[in-house]
Amino acid sequence: MLKILIPSMFMLLTTWTSPFKQLWSTILMYSFLVATLSLTWLAMPTDTGWFYINNYMAYDPLSSPLLVLTCWLLPLMIIASQNHLAVEPENRQRTYISLLISLQIFLILAFSATEMIMFYVMFEATLIPTLIIITRWGNQMERLNAGTYFLFYTLAGSLPLLVALLIYHSSMGSLSYLSLTSLPLTCSNLYADKLWWMACLLAFLVKMPLYGVHLWLPKAHVEAPIAGSMVLAAVLLKLGGYGMMRIMIILDPLTKELSYPFIILALWGVIMTGSICLRQTDLKSLIAYSSVSHMGLVAAGILIQTPWGFTGALILMIAHGLTSSALFCLANTNYERTHSRTIILARGLQMVLPLMATWWFLASLANLALPPLPNLMGEIMIITSLFNWSFYTLILTGLGTLITASYSLYMFLLTQRGPIPHHLILLEPSHTREHLLLALHLLPLLLLIAKPELVWGWTA
Amino acid sequence: LLFAMGLGTTITFASSHWLLAWMGLEINTLAILPLMCQSHHPRAVEATIKYFLTQATAAAMLLFASITNAWITGQWNLEFMSYSLPTTLVTVALALKIGLAPLHAWMPEVLQGLDLTTGLILSTWQKLAPFCLLLQINPSNTSLLLILGLASTLIGGWGGLNQNQLRKILAYSSIAHLGWMILVLQFFPSLTLLTLLMYFVMTFSLFISFKVNNSTTINSLSMSWSKTPIISSMVPFILLSLGGLPPLSGFMPKWLILQELTKQSLAPLATLAALSALLSLYFYLRISYAMTLTMSPNTLLNALPWRLPSNQHTLPLAITT
Repeated sequence: MLKILIPSMFMLLTTWTSPFKQLWSTILMYSFLVATLSLTWLAMPTDTGWFYINNYMAYDPLSSPLLVLTCWLLPLMIIASQNHLAVEPENRQRTYISLLISLQIFLILAFSATEMIMFYVMFEATLIPTLIIITRWGNQMERLNAGTYFLFYTLAGSLPLLVALLIYHSSMGSLSYLSLTSLPLTCSNLYADKLWWMACLLAFLVKMPLYGVHLWLPKAHVEAPIAGSMVLAAVLLKLGGYGMMRIMIILDPLTKELSYPFIILALWGVIMTGSICLRQTDLKSLIAYSSVSHMGLVAAGILIQTPWGFTGALILMIAHGLTSSALFCLANTNYERTHSRTIILARGLQMVLPLMATWWFLASLANLALPPLPNLMGEIMIITSLFNWSFYTLILTGLGTLITASYSLYMFLLTQRGPIPHHLILLEPSHTREHLLLALHLLPLLLLIAKPELVWGWTA
Repeated sequence: LLFAMGLGTTITFASSHWLLAWMGLEINTLAILPLMCQSHHPRAVEATIKYFLTQATAAAMLLFASITNAWITGQWNLEFMSYSLPTTLVTVALALKIGLAPLHAWMPEVLQGLDLTTGLILSTWQKLAPFCLLLQINPSNTSLLLILGLASTLIGGWGGLNQNQLRKILAYSSIAHLGWMILVLQFFPSLTLLTLLMYFVMTFSLFISFKVNNSTTINSLSMSWSKTPIISSMVPFILLSLGGLPPLSGFMPKWLILQELTKQSLAPLATLAALSALLSLYFYLRISYAMTLTMSPNTLLNALPWRLPSNQHTLPLAITT
């Protein structure tokens, strides 16, 4: 573990001391090194045990896929940002990379935290670099509004979480993950206990996001630069899911009744945001709403609290992370050529950029959960466990799957097929860098078909 | 004059007799008055008068409360205030002195009338003496302190939302932070001191960075990236630390205070206080947007020629960031 954390911290130093000509290649090489080393985390000799690095950091089958995803994403973010940062002065480029690396460090610390308070502090700590990336390097005027929405939605949810964790700590004495399983709060029907339950979950539901409190997500994703969108979609949303999975242990048995409205809200959100996707004119906004849709399914899966639900949620989180990030990269290739996010401005790309069309095809197929990709595995497990919980959810989830398929295909057909608009005279050919970026996104996804046990979580 | 101020605070620190404490506070007030109206600007003079009136009222109330205590208990010692009437009066008087809500109305206007350095002294040094008195008496009514504290955090947050004068913003931030300090006064006084010190450090660096940029409104901050780029990149961190975001050090007092409050089963109060911190975070965020996170020149005054800041100012800033 230290092999990963210390090099990440020292990458900050490398950013500021490398000669400028070799900045990007050096950072890229180091981050790939770290990412490859992080793959060792996936090799678990024991099934359910925790691996302790020191008293405060550990990883287990739940957090190791997310950790590997985080480490894998840093080189991808760096590849993606190279183009739009090339025009900036040197110090700003270094600052940007430092922000990405510090975000990575906080995320590693968050996913490997053994105590809830440390997880909380790191959860909040990831907000600051993300806020700076969105508001400083975003491209439109609305980015300030987006940053404010992002910060305040997340904080308004997580401050009650802090108080709830402190309440639990003062009554139970410890917030270490190990002892959480043996110290559930005793069942009581006081209103205050229900408020406490709500306070525990609200932060993660806002982060996921749940349908009713999802308003920050389209704004933040759309206004963020490509690396910001990538890290938001791929990892930061999963922080919410991961936190929810961790804290579910102490929330039993209140969750049996109290989670009803949230499961329904999540499932309804799947359908609603899917329908919104069908009417979007903004490409990044479409992908953002599709993120909300998938994460709604994840939220429902976690709230069900069955093994299949958890496993499905984790697989869907990993697969969605890779897919959504790939889609954002594809949208960014469009943006860098036309400097606009409007879909209809860049149609018929298969005629012009056929190789990119392959990646669009694969990413859209992954988004709509085609077998045998892990996206499907996650969705089917969640749908099955929801069906087990109540028969009627099948209507909602079935409809959701249908709508997901339709908007993914809609997005693919609109951008790739059809006639090229007349005003598209000059488009750069696809860079090798872009192909590399998308290949690196989709390759783990395809490899996961072969061995999904890596991301199964506890039910290995 | 500075010596007199130092003398006043020290007397209050070292006193165990109420009369001596009162004298120290009076010396403090009197010494800062000439500093405040140094510029002879009408607004500065007006601020001086307002400050004098409020502080004199507070000092008179303090004297009255200590005399009442002496009448009831027969002794003048600071620590032995056991009756509720004098204790409440002393608490209210000291609240007026430092500017807790609902006795805060003088603070924004007074700070607005001063220049940044005097404002700094007012916000930091002047709080030390009343706090040492507050820490020494044993406040006996819980709800008074909690109401003062919660009202201060809320008013400090809401009041600062509509401002674009930096000194008024700093006044409201001062009110909010003082509210946090008072909340925990009766449970864990060391936390009050910790919050006070952290607040001092952060406000000091903020005031100095505003002074270096010679800016008093949010608009004029927007050119600071060309004057002092390093300070401009550090100020968002100071501001977010004032707002209490982890992992910056401003989070630490808030976390510990919330922990103490939940241990005392005051969880709803803790939640309210935490959420009110969001209010003040909004205007800190707005300042940091204007200063660093946007580079659009929307300043109202021309880009100033390179004003050479005196170098001794930046060193304490660098240390305290």
